[in-house]
Amino acid sequence: MLVDFELISRAREGDEAAYSQIVQAYRKRILGTIARLIGRPEDVEDVGQEVFLRLYFSMDQLRTPEVFEPWLYRLTVNAAYDYLRRQRRRREARMADLSEQQVMLADAAAGSRRQETEQRHKRVRELVGSLLGAISQQDRILLSLKEIEGLSLKELAKIYRVNENALKVRLFRARQRVLKAYAGSQAATAQARGTE
Amino acid sequence: MFRHDHDPPDERAEADLSRLFAQYREALPDPEPSADFTPRLWQKIEVRQSTNRQVKRLAQGFVTAAAAVSLLIGVFLALPQNRVSSFYAHTYLEILAADQGPGDPEDVEIVRTEQVVHETSR
Repeated sequence: MLVDFELISRAREGDEAAYSQIVQAYRKRILGTIARLIGRPEDVEDVGQEVFLRLYFSMDQLRTPEVFEPWLYRLTVNAAYDYLRRQRRRREARMADLSEQQVMLADAAAGSRRQETEQRHKRVRELVGSLLGAISQQDRILLSLKEIEGLSLKELAKIYRVNENALKVRLFRARQRVLKAYAGSQAATAQARGTE
Repeated sequence: MFRHDHDPPDERAEADLSRLFAQYREALPDPEPSADFTPRLWQKIEVRQSTNRQVKRLAQGFVTAAAAVSLLIGVFLALPQNRVSSFYAHTYLEILAADQGPGDPEDVEIVRTEQVVHETSR
């Protein structure tokens, strides 16, 4: 926990200063999680604001301060899921944005070390993005929380309010599908190298 | 991308994938929030609060208007009922008696005629 229970209790009773302190404590972590869940840096802050907005208007529904973190993660997951759903409707616009971004990156490429790292990160982001595209949005978020955010099954069970065994099965299936997509991408890369 | 020739293929792919996820986390570190993150958040909260207040006020106005209309309908329904009850407050005979009171000339005539008939028959 990044804040103590007393601060959460005060925020729940309407103390705005306490709420601001919670935002201050959690915003970076939540923005990071959102960035990895949605994969679009330019929209991270907007989704993050939506999470904290929902938090503000649902604080009174929080039963006990002990469940605050799973509660905040649930709000984050829901906001990310809503965003991805909206994005699916705007896929064409997104493709146009990406190509523009790629053009800008290609223009900026000058061979410096920093840019090399950025290029490597970009390749990883694209590869993981395409692998996670092989599964449904719900499974993508679940798998990301487990594999990338490093949340335990116990924490995930609290966030999703389902038992751990059900989550294990869902995670296993999602991971298998991603592995299959990964094997496919590796084979395609090997084939491309062979033809060169 | 990640090769370990001595591992069985499945295990190797599993390990590669785990490493890839770790690299993805590295490639997307927690971003620094912008300076106006919290002020913008409070602005949004205030906008939503004022919208909620307006909706609440609108709802209260609607409830008040609905109550007033209900009251008016009640009054309208109550008024004709009062008239009807006053109309039916007397019996048929009472109304008949009121219509044909002792001052009616026809009744007097009928009584007189009966008396004349009676006296001549004697």
